[in-house]
Amino acid sequence: MTDVTVIAKPDLTGKRLAFALAEDRIGHYVEFRAYFVRIFDLDRIGLAEPGFVQAPSGFAYALVFIGRSGDPFPSGVEVYAVVDALEPIDDSVLDSDLWAILGWMVEGVGGPWTRHDLEETGRLYRIPAALAGSARQNADRRADS
Amino acid sequence: MTRDLFELTPGYREKWPYVARYAPVNGWRMHYIDEGEGDPVLLLHGNPTWGFLYRDVIGPLVQSRRRVIVPDMIGFGLSEKPTREHAHTLDGHIANLVSLVRQLGLTRVTAVCHDWGGPTGLAFAMSNPDRVRALVVMSTWAWPRPPAEFHTRLFPWRMMHAPLIGPYLLGRHNVLAARGVYLSVVDRDKFRREAQPAYQAALPDAETRLLTWAWPRWIPLDDSARALDRFTWLEQELAKSKLPAMIVWGREDEVFDAATFADRFKRLLPHAEGPHLVTGRHFLQEDSGAEIAGLICSFLDRLDQRGG
Repeated sequence: MTDVTVIAKPDLTGKRLAFALAEDRIGHYVEFRAYFVRIFDLDRIGLAEPGFVQAPSGFAYALVFIGRSGDPFPSGVEVYAVVDALEPIDDSVLDSDLWAILGWMVEGVGGPWTRHDLEETGRLYRIPAALAGSARQNADRRADS
Repeated sequence: MTRDLFELTPGYREKWPYVARYAPVNGWRMHYIDEGEGDPVLLLHGNPTWGFLYRDVIGPLVQSRRRVIVPDMIGFGLSEKPTREHAHTLDGHIANLVSLVRQLGLTRVTAVCHDWGGPTGLAFAMSNPDRVRALVVMSTWAWPRPPAEFHTRLFPWRMMHAPLIGPYLLGRHNVLAARGVYLSVVDRDKFRREAQPAYQAALPDAETRLLTWAWPRWIPLDDSARALDRFTWLEQELAKSKLPAMIVWGREDEVFDAATFADRFKRLLPHAEGPHLVTGRHFLQEDSGAEIAGLICSFLDRLDQRGG
């Protein structure tokens, strides 16, 4: 199950796109590029508009795809949070949302890439969002037992 | 700004009292130190460290009348840090090193190569043999593939630098300099106390850390890999090389394990001394810097005695 959903382009009136993350080589592992092409219909849409997802916090995120001469499209992607124009974004919220988007992406890319391996990697390197996810799962298990 | 962060790192100046020097290489600003007099010894680091890795090696070499040059790779340490991944190529980094050596007019160089300092330093040596006197290799590789079973695994290696995940884990969270090196030394308490702040201070912001996930993507894993031809050439050239060489390895290294990698270097360079095993995981200089310095000094003394 994923807690990130693809959404239609939100109303951007009074909003700004807050830069969050950039990837110059989305095709380093080609299955990642293929996933974005498939999920956002990029062979048809191309550079016409970003893809949008909604993250667990409720914020929308824009995925802006980058083209580069000589490389299959897209060659890169930038991730932006859609936030109120003059309001700062809470970094811990942003970080948790990005972690959820990565989980959604890995789940969508599919085998051999698994959300489990992503979460294990996050825990190994003590990523706060990954550790918080573990704590939530443990609490859920205790509540169920 | 990076320099300011270093000044705030406890004990930094005592551990790194060297004068910062800079050279333009291929349009980038490369930081290096240049200490002592004598035949030059070039100490080459890899990902995600910088010259600081050799802090316990430099002094003994200088005292034994060697000129010690320690460059920071473009993208690390006090060198300029490009913010676009396409600025980093294996050939570009080799050419950066060639540029520095030629600007300094170095000959009779002993190239000491660790991690990505291996493919870059050894390729420099093979392409400029008239400038090189000897090679020392430590926890590195010089052949097309596979580099190590570890590098083919999805957890944690390939996942760590996968699209978007690399910029998140290694960029936003600096996991390689923060925890990756920590997990790859033997004495972790000492490392945390003495060295970790200096590595983290060198990569203060997400945009400065790009090379930490760009380098892993240059490790060849299949026949479509970008660096396959360069590594194939490098292995062929090394197999022909008669340069004096020494192999030093970390006994506890589980990334480039000695049984696989040091032995393969020994087959590639059968005339090489070693492998000498010292206490250490992948970043063996953190645990055995003084011992490594002693091994290099003895090796060079023997070359001197032989008139090599």
